[in-house]
Amino acid sequence: MVESSNKRLAIKAEGLVKRFDENILAVNGIDLTIEANTIFALLGPNGAGKTTTINMLTTLLAPTEGSASVAGFDVIKQANEVRNAIGVTFQETTLDDELTGRQALDFHARLYGMSKDQRTAKIRELLALVELEEAADRTISTYSGGMKRRLELIRGLMTDPEVLFLDEPTLGLDPQSRARIGDYIVELKEKHGMSVLLTTHYMDEAEKLSDRVAIIDHGKILTEGTPSELVEQMGADVITIIGHGNREEFVSKINDLPCCETVTSGNGLVQIGVDSGSKHLVEVISQANQSDFVVDDISVAKPSLGDVFLKFTGRQFRD
Amino acid sequence: MSAAITLWNKHMVKSLRNSMEMSSMLIQPVLWVVLFGVGMGSLLGPNMPGGQDFYITFMLPGIIALTASGGAIGGGSTWLNERLQGIVKEYLAAPIPRLSILMGNALSTVSKGLVQSLVILIVGLIVGANMTTNPLGWLGALLLVSAFTLGFAGIALAMASSTDNTGAYHAMIMLLNLPLLFLSNALYPLETMPTWMRIGALINPTTYVVTGLRYLLIVNGTELARVEAIPLWLCFLVIAIFAILGMWLASRRFKKSLN
Repeated sequence: MVESSNKRLAIKAEGLVKRFDENILAVNGIDLTIEANTIFALLGPNGAGKTTTINMLTTLLAPTEGSASVAGFDVIKQANEVRNAIGVTFQETTLDDELTGRQALDFHARLYGMSKDQRTAKIRELLALVELEEAADRTISTYSGGMKRRLELIRGLMTDPEVLFLDEPTLGLDPQSRARIGDYIVELKEKHGMSVLLTTHYMDEAEKLSDRVAIIDHGKILTEGTPSELVEQMGADVITIIGHGNREEFVSKINDLPCCETVTSGNGLVQIGVDSGSKHLVEVISQANQSDFVVDDISVAKPSLGDVFLKFTGRQFRD
Repeated sequence: MSAAITLWNKHMVKSLRNSMEMSSMLIQPVLWVVLFGVGMGSLLGPNMPGGQDFYITFMLPGIIALTASGGAIGGGSTWLNERLQGIVKEYLAAPIPRLSILMGNALSTVSKGLVQSLVILIVGLIVGANMTTNPLGWLGALLLVSAFTLGFAGIALAMASSTDNTGAYHAMIMLLNLPLLFLSNALYPLETMPTWMRIGALINPTTYVVTGLRYLLIVNGTELARVEAIPLWLCFLVIAIFAILGMWLASRRFKKSLN
């Protein structure tokens, strides 16, 4: 299964649209091409359309328009084949609190028709992977948030999926658990050749884990590329200015300067991508003085995905 | 089908682990028989043609129907909880037929209802209800109860698929449950009812399951049931239709809830 996955695309979506109740447009024409054996992150704020996209790709929701295939199977016409080929960890916990961890994994695998021997072996292997052996026979209601998340992650892995969907896999976890789950995800790709589509609204996570990132907002993909490609298009440095006064004039003046690659303004912030921050700092401040714009705070930093997000959405990214 | 059995198994494991659910499931019907049956029996006893124990004998099928509908309501709550907690997403992402999700729930509801019915029958025997020990009678009775539970479970599942609010679900179901019990011949015979009530009772499936159980379970039950002028085959027919309609309704609402 894993060998053949290298030859085909993990996910292909064309013009995906999901409309709820006539006027709520949750997903507004999404195109995605995700190669096999990559980790792909959909990055966007709450309500951007990430979960709806995942629900369509995992066959939970039928698209209003457009088409998609996962592991080479059409999500509408071959829904059952898609379901057989994927593992899913949903954003909210979908565990039955009254079962033990082991029972939850076992019942899950039975739904996929795995034999008893296969199940027993796989459960042992995966419990060890996320260090849940000792808790395995306790009811899930006694688990901490991090333990539940780890259990859900391995539940999605029980069936050796070709494509793994992780909707906010580390939401609400402490930094230590986040880092650990991040490591598992990378390991799955590298050792088991899995393809992973994850959504997150942790910038650093998307930057660290994924091979490619798409920024999504208002149901549309705004930009896509490797994390470094996205960051590099911002320029080598980003000058971030907080200030008040005649911002429009200031921005238009900056835009006329040859040194500045990108200028974004929103929420009282002005961001300027430049080839070298320290070199152009004085120039930028003098432009501010000439246009009645009072600088309250100014900083120079290497750009991050957060700056890319601000550039494309005009909004600052809030975790 | 194997997916439905897996889900049935999961529900049963959950119930068996839950000692509170198990004990209330088993004790509640016993309390009905002992407290209500014996109490009403001694009130009515001396005036009843069948003697002191006659009321218990008379109302036992009604208690079985009541318990079955209670079990069906429980099945609906299980489904509502799975929907609200998102557990149903796990099923929807799995390569199983959508309807097997519904079937798994209905199967476990019926299984629990059967266990409860057996408990009632045994308690009935102990407290002196005049019941037959003919295994064919018991088999027929359990079949009838299963079909009735399935029908009622269908209504409960349909309601649980139509709301996202636990309180609303229970309010709706109580509103339905009350007339199903009291507007039937479960606790009092048809012949003593005013005409409007008798008409209501005759369109209520509970009347048919209760009458059928009287035929099948009670010594000389034929006499008792014949008074109602409902033949046994009609009981089976009505309850079979009820079961089919209930499950049809449930699957319709269920499919709608997926969009």
